[in-house]
Amino acid sequence: MQNNHHKEHLYKILVIGDLGVGKTSIIKRYVHHNFSPNYRATIGVDFALKVLNWDQETVRLQLWDIAGQERFGNMTRVYYREAMGAFIVFDVTRPASFEAVTKWKEDLDSKLTLANGKHVATVLLANKCDQGRDVLTNNGIKMEQFCQENGFVGWYETSAKENINIDEAANCLVKHIMASENDMLQSEVPDTVTPQLEKDKGGTCSSCFRSQ
Amino acid sequence: MATLMEQRDPGWKLFGKIQPREGSIKDPKRIQKEYETKSGRAGPGNPTSPRQSVRKNLDFEPLSTTALILEDRPANLPAKPAEEAQKHRQQYEEMVAQAKKRELKDAQKRKKQLEDRCKLEESIGTAAQTWNQEILPNWSTMCTSRRVRDLWWQGIPPSVRGKVWSLAVGNELNITHELYNICLARAKEKWNTTPAPATEGEAEDAGSSDRESSLELIKLDISRTFPQLCIFQQGGPYHDVLHSILGAYTCYRPDVGYVQGMSFIAAVLILNLDTADAFIAFANLLNKPCQMAFFRVDHSLMLTYFAAFEVFFEENLPKLFAHFKKNNLTPDIYLIDWIFTLYSKSLPLDLACRVWDVFCRDGEEFLFRTALGLLRLYQDVLTCMDFIHMAQFLTRLPDLIPAEQLFQHIASIHMTSRNRKWAQVGCCTFYILGFVAGFLVRLQTILTTQILRLH
Repeated sequence: MQNNHHKEHLYKILVIGDLGVGKTSIIKRYVHHNFSPNYRATIGVDFALKVLNWDQETVRLQLWDIAGQERFGNMTRVYYREAMGAFIVFDVTRPASFEAVTKWKEDLDSKLTLANGKHVATVLLANKCDQGRDVLTNNGIKMEQFCQENGFVGWYETSAKENINIDEAANCLVKHIMASENDMLQSEVPDTVTPQLEKDKGGTCSSCFRSQ
Repeated sequence: MATLMEQRDPGWKLFGKIQPREGSIKDPKRIQKEYETKSGRAGPGNPTSPRQSVRKNLDFEPLSTTALILEDRPANLPAKPAEEAQKHRQQYEEMVAQAKKRELKDAQKRKKQLEDRCKLEESIGTAAQTWNQEILPNWSTMCTSRRVRDLWWQGIPPSVRGKVWSLAVGNELNITHELYNICLARAKEKWNTTPAPATEGEAEDAGSSDRESSLELIKLDISRTFPQLCIFQQGGPYHDVLHSILGAYTCYRPDVGYVQGMSFIAAVLILNLDTADAFIAFANLLNKPCQMAFFRVDHSLMLTYFAAFEVFFEENLPKLFAHFKKNNLTPDIYLIDWIFTLYSKSLPLDLACRVWDVFCRDGEEFLFRTALGLLRLYQDVLTCMDFIHMAQFLTRLPDLIPAEQLFQHIASIHMTSRNRKWAQVGCCTFYILGFVAGFLVRLQTILTTQILRLH
């Protein structure tokens, strides 16, 4: 019955960002399709598993929900190992959590690179968008530009509470992970001419930006 | 809606969904009535509401027997053959009988549970008396006796729990109520002066570690501390108390500050002690070598603890240990949460308090012994899981954990490895590092206290 057409993918995905930005809520919404205002603080790391059917292939996402307090950095960095993608989350109602985004990204990139030397695909989530978008509108930052400058493959305004854009963001991340996986598989074959990816990369990125 | 149901309804009805139809060939009420008469349960008269009258007459009324009613096919469909109708009636009666039997069994189980609870409450009452009248008045002489240690293991009655914890944790730091008030006053001063410039100041030097110690973290975490109890949240009765204790601690130990996990520990203490005493126990508890290592996030020392834990893990549960190794499941993944919150987040609160009881008696060793007890309790399920499922299971333990069983498993964990005890397996690292850390901590504390007093 099982033929070799049916491929299985297992991806480890990190969910990081400041304390209380809604990392656990996003995962609960994505995996269990529900929301509660009563989640407990995550200490250390929590886990979730999401199984997707992707073009007749099975994709298993291992979600690592990592505690947000900066102090834990030393201890949780070991959890970055072997991750294929990441969400960096901030709270649109708390400017400080957005300020921290670049730090989370730098931290991630400094500790984790793919086998081909590239950084892992990372999607930026502007969470709690149901509660206002002060950070997004007041600081004059162009999010598209911010993402390109900081190496995010895309960004989404999300709300775990209202179920806005969670699936979209995850699909975007999975798409990029698969692309970088293919890229790595191709580069492993020595005598093939690998297509120049820079141009291609730009193309897929902008498709993920929700520009109208 | 009703018409829709009629069309596809096969002839079984759940009460409350739609009204029994008057025009059907065989009145459903009659069938119900027939059944009741047959089983001798018919109510006196009042045929319009047979359920109500039945309810009144019985001590115990199985719900499902009345909820399910046999009904004939809708009129627009051909009638069932007599044979089939008979068969269905028979099946219906069997179902009802089974449901009744099941519910009777449930009722008996509930009664047994109630009896057990009464018995438990009675034994807690007598234990409380023993603790209050015999043990507490003679604490220093009795606390190490065999009898008290045994009683202790069985769980401290909630009414004396706070008192026993206070005595057992001690007050090596010599914190007074006055010192607590000084720290609290300083914390309040900070809260009152910082809010306005806080957001801007934070945004300006977001890179500095100051962002961490901000009191905003405490605020964010308080609402996420035992949210299901609804007492620590904004507007809840203990919200301000929890805020005060955590704030006062950041002034008492600015070098440690607020670290996630602390809110759970403070909350458990608040549930068992008055505010100032809770603070004293909190500060002294965090000052223990193991807690200091974790809350200062001293990575190398934490790794030493994990390594020592693994020695006992392999010794006690070799099969599971091998399974964990094979799946690359390292102890930090589950121990961090368990140790940082002293199990108050991962275990049901009453069970967590029992773990705290013995932790107060036996010290840090018991935290790791409890971890092994949990692993032993769930050994069979864990052995069948892969990495992600084990990680998920251990970071989110079942809602219902059998307390007695868990304590039996903990009891059968041996905390000696090749004649070495817990502290020795830590290769004296705990002792040396603990001693140095303890010395520095004490120095720091003395200085802080002096500074606060001078201020």
